[in-house]
Amino acid sequence: MNKIVLGEPLNRVDGRLKVTGGAKYSGEYKQPGLTYGVLVPATITSGTVTAMDTRAAERAPGVVAVITVFNAPAVPGFQKDAVKPVRGLKLFNDNKVYFNGQPIALVIAETFERATYAAKLVTATYAETPFETSFEKNFDKGVVPNNGQYKDYVRGLADAYKNAPVIVEEDYKLPSEMHNPMELHVTIAAWVGDDEVHVYTKSQGVMGSQRSVANAFGLATEKVHIHSRFVGGAFGSSLRTWPHEIAAVQAAKLVKRPVKLTLTREQMFTSVGYRPLTIQKIGLGATLDGKLVGITHESHSQTAVYEEFTENAVAVSRFLYASANANTRYRVVPLNVGVPCPMRGPGEATGAFALESALDELSYKLGMDPIALRLANYAETDPERNLPWSSKYVKECYALGASRIGWDQRLAHPGSLRDGEWLVGYGMGCGAFGAHRSATTVRIRLSADGRVVLWSATSDIGPGTGTAMTVIAANILGLPADKISFELGDSGFPTAPTQGGSQTVSSVGSAVHDVCVALRGRLYELSGLPVDSTTDIDYVRVLKEHGLPELELSGESKPDAEAQKYSSYSFSAHFAKVAVHPLTGQVRVRQLIAVVDAGKVISHKTASSQMIGGAVGGIGMVLTEEAVIDDRFGKYINGNLADYHVPVNADIPDIEAIFIDKPDPYINPIGTKGVGEISLIGVAAAVANAVYNACGKRIRELPITPDKLI
Amino acid sequence: MNPFTYVRATETSGAIRALGRDSHFLAGGTNLIDLMKMGIVTPEKLVDITHLPLKHISRTPTGLSIGALCTNSEVADHPLVLKHYPLLSMAFNAGASPQLRNMATVGGNMMQRTRCPYFFDTALPCNKRVPGSGCGALQGYNRMHAIFGASDQCIAVNPSDMSIALTALEATVHIQGARGGRILPFADFHRLPGDTPEKDNVLEPGELITSLTLPLPAFPDHVHYLKIRDRTSYAFALVSVAAALQLDGGNVRAVRLVMGGVAHKPWRLEAAEDFLRGKPATVENFRQAAYLAMQGAKAYAYNQFKLTLAPNAIVQALKTASGVTA
Amino acid sequence: MADYSDNQSHEEDLEHSTRRSFFKQSTAFGAIALTPAALVRAAEHQWDEKIADVFEKMPLNIEVNGVKHSLKVEPRTTLLDLLREQLDLTGTKKGCDRGQCGACTVHVNGVRINSCLSLAVSNEGKKITTIEGLAVGDNLHPMQDAFIRHDGFQCGYCTSGQIMSAVALVKEGRTHSREQISEFMSGNICRCGAYSNIVKAIEDVKNSGL
Repeated sequence: MNKIVLGEPLNRVDGRLKVTGGAKYSGEYKQPGLTYGVLVPATITSGTVTAMDTRAAERAPGVVAVITVFNAPAVPGFQKDAVKPVRGLKLFNDNKVYFNGQPIALVIAETFERATYAAKLVTATYAETPFETSFEKNFDKGVVPNNGQYKDYVRGLADAYKNAPVIVEEDYKLPSEMHNPMELHVTIAAWVGDDEVHVYTKSQGVMGSQRSVANAFGLATEKVHIHSRFVGGAFGSSLRTWPHEIAAVQAAKLVKRPVKLTLTREQMFTSVGYRPLTIQKIGLGATLDGKLVGITHESHSQTAVYEEFTENAVAVSRFLYASANANTRYRVVPLNVGVPCPMRGPGEATGAFALESALDELSYKLGMDPIALRLANYAETDPERNLPWSSKYVKECYALGASRIGWDQRLAHPGSLRDGEWLVGYGMGCGAFGAHRSATTVRIRLSADGRVVLWSATSDIGPGTGTAMTVIAANILGLPADKISFELGDSGFPTAPTQGGSQTVSSVGSAVHDVCVALRGRLYELSGLPVDSTTDIDYVRVLKEHGLPELELSGESKPDAEAQKYSSYSFSAHFAKVAVHPLTGQVRVRQLIAVVDAGKVISHKTASSQMIGGAVGGIGMVLTEEAVIDDRFGKYINGNLADYHVPVNADIPDIEAIFIDKPDPYINPIGTKGVGEISLIGVAAAVANAVYNACGKRIRELPITPDKLI
Repeated sequence: MNPFTYVRATETSGAIRALGRDSHFLAGGTNLIDLMKMGIVTPEKLVDITHLPLKHISRTPTGLSIGALCTNSEVADHPLVLKHYPLLSMAFNAGASPQLRNMATVGGNMMQRTRCPYFFDTALPCNKRVPGSGCGALQGYNRMHAIFGASDQCIAVNPSDMSIALTALEATVHIQGARGGRILPFADFHRLPGDTPEKDNVLEPGELITSLTLPLPAFPDHVHYLKIRDRTSYAFALVSVAAALQLDGGNVRAVRLVMGGVAHKPWRLEAAEDFLRGKPATVENFRQAAYLAMQGAKAYAYNQFKLTLAPNAIVQALKTASGVTA
Repeated sequence: MADYSDNQSHEEDLEHSTRRSFFKQSTAFGAIALTPAALVRAAEHQWDEKIADVFEKMPLNIEVNGVKHSLKVEPRTTLLDLLREQLDLTGTKKGCDRGQCGACTVHVNGVRINSCLSLAVSNEGKKITTIEGLAVGDNLHPMQDAFIRHDGFQCGYCTSGQIMSAVALVKEGRTHSREQISEFMSGNICRCGAYSNIVKAIEDVKNSGL
């Protein structure tokens, strides 16, 4: 029997579909009578729409309908008395404009070309009101978030760093960063009668999408069918149901035909969230031998005037290092912009850039090796929650990373290592992300032909969910991987959490584990063998002998109380070697090593790819990415992939992912802690610190483009 | 895109005749189709010229003739270009992406519009797009903008890499109009914005670029095209420098220096060339040349860095082209 | 509000009937889009007629993955939208629609291009190869196989474009070094960040001499 062991490199189970063009993404399902929806954006940044002229658009050939803020059919979930009101912006519900690019109309036509053209024919008149998009100008208007989860935190004394012998006190700025998944956000909505709808949409959580659509349109949950089998990347941008998705469903209901609504790349800069522009102040105080006396971490980040967005930017400073004194403050600055949403690594990545840069600065002030400084402040237990770690192998991460990158080649004095004309430097940065697990149900069926199918309403935005689940199932059932298939991305499947927060393998994988153990147990029971028997049995024969055409089980798996006694995080240490050209300011990342303690690795190949991909995201964060608003107009002026620079192939060296690969004993039955976020957290600091080591320029305002290094 | 008629031309005079009011020639389409999608250009008619016989790359008694409909990659990869005009290949390969270079033609590259974000957004002011509407960049986010030859009407830059090299190579442009043809130096093809920034170049309505000629010798042994950008590839230049040197022992016998990303047209660095000619090829002289090249430069709020990056890039390009590092 | 299920709902629009009848007429006479625009100049100030004219579809003969198609398309339809929306060849992806990402890469007469910036009608008589045309029956193209083995993708959305580009890259002979591969694959953006695995897949194919 081709028994698979956990961690064995299995090729992606949907690889063939993806390399042949056979994988169908949400916008690619054929629908009879399909129409095309194109949104019309507001051209003001704040105010009201006073009138719209849609006559030319309506007259244009092929136009089926034009929905505007004045004629849009009511969405039940938008109403004041709604039992479960729709969260956030209620598109077309009133004539208010909160940000530039906010959709004010939707044109539906017979073809994409006709809808696109007709959308350009819609004109609006506005009553403009003053707006604010400048973060710096409104910095002082930062407020404690309303949601109550971001109160100021103090352990020991606040701002204790100020009285330490060695101090670092600096501001770090990250610009707004766009998720920019390669797939455009798209939704096809197709109603069946008045009370049932199929929605093919880009979703990280089909159950969440189902609830949102059901609530918005007052439908029974089971009458809303969300289909999202293949998702062309998301990185957080599909964690929630966005206004345009509701609009597509609304439009399809109105025209009584399926509607496909695709955002343009430009519209994705305003409509599907982003990592918010953030300015953080870090204060570090240390003794002369490098013991931290105090950590202070303050963050201001932008949010929308119509909806508050918060994230864990400052949390990392409360637990990553041992310090008797630590305090954090978190503020949000409401502006006339679209609402942000979590972007890979979310706030933790933002916070880690600041904290890990500041620690690097401290290491130079102390004349101490950055790794030694971190070891001197190693947190043996979680100082924030006062709990033991469920597992933590960070010292091993440091050692492996240092060895692999050649840390001993690093010269402490910046600017002293050369390779021809290029200055070479080494840097490292660390990260942590909470290891989570949510209740998940998986159904499994063994058929008479020996094939096993598992179902769960989870997603795969790219990490290879189906592959990891297949590895787990194959491992427990002792079956070859090609006998197993895992179905996901449909709200009709058993309940699973949204794919976010690095919890998919821990949650769904645990459920797959449990249901496979149950199935195996049942088969052994039927065979008259003890469930823990190591004797191989022929499942097909067992079914046959008992006259069973198939065997189907379903089971829920959820966190147990024992895990609550520990503090559980994935940890990472990223090591970068960069070259900086002193004359031209060009930076080349020559090598990047990502060492991660993410518990047990289930699918080595896909997990490695995830780590590498996160590192690429981190390189984008630190070197190339910045969404720019012209505050005179309140509008993004680089809202496209030519001017907003996602890293390209030539920006990326060989990146190596190294896993500690030791199971966490407490968090779940498979010992995993999560990879998705940790892959990005700490990367930006590692590269920025390497840039400093190379050329002596400390860049605290990302991205580090050539102009900042000359 | 707005609706339009499409006609396919099979011979040059017919193409010119077919071009009417609000019409455009369509070649590779990499810029025009994009502009049409953005609503910046809304032609009534496109005249597809890709079937015209303007695709030759051939020797002439004085150099090389390149048909205007050769794609960027056809020229970049051509053995004669690689041998005699490697600077041009380098410039081509620094531009856009392989796929775009396979589509974009030489003539189309010359006609390429600016990448100024205010030009590209019909909701924002731009004198180049809508004369008289104002320059959004002047007081705006002008990080990518000109430091030479700009006007209060327009501070946009020409985005072409190819054109920087062709200026350095002192190419000649061959143009056909309804009333005959004309020839002009490549350096005179693009223009400065002045009070009419809507005009990128001197091409008259109805005229068609038919070919380029490149003279010899083009001192191919010491050339470099240096392009500094915000990511390693597939991005427009912050600044770029085309450098071609003829060295005689340690001395500069001849030199061509042209900068991109700094002006509304390829910016020839004549003062620097004059200074270097006849002088020893030393880094110190390169620095002095770069200093002279920067006289008259004027930066705006967000592109002050170009006052440093540009001379640095000149020095670096000269170093790489000459092999002189001290 | 009008019944939107009926396309012809704006009966109050006086110009409406003109447009409709013109449509019928021009359809009856077949395509006229290739006719010089002068033919319809007389009606130039008549918005609807002008629209109707230019909306008329043009004939297009094109071969996609070895299959010959005789189609009628609007001049403004891009090759990408033709493939995805009319021929149901959705393997070719739309990531930006502006030549800025490479997801739409296909081969036209063997050369890799961005199909989002190519008008379908410009491809008259040409041979298009898309990702769906790469494998021979059940046998994957070596590049497809290498992408699977080296895990050269995650979400899979840029993958078609990456593979089409990579196949062309090998044919172009631009695989002399890792740097060259990287540079000449930079017209294909992968947001999942699979670049280093993509390079390994290409090196593998190149080294195997396929």
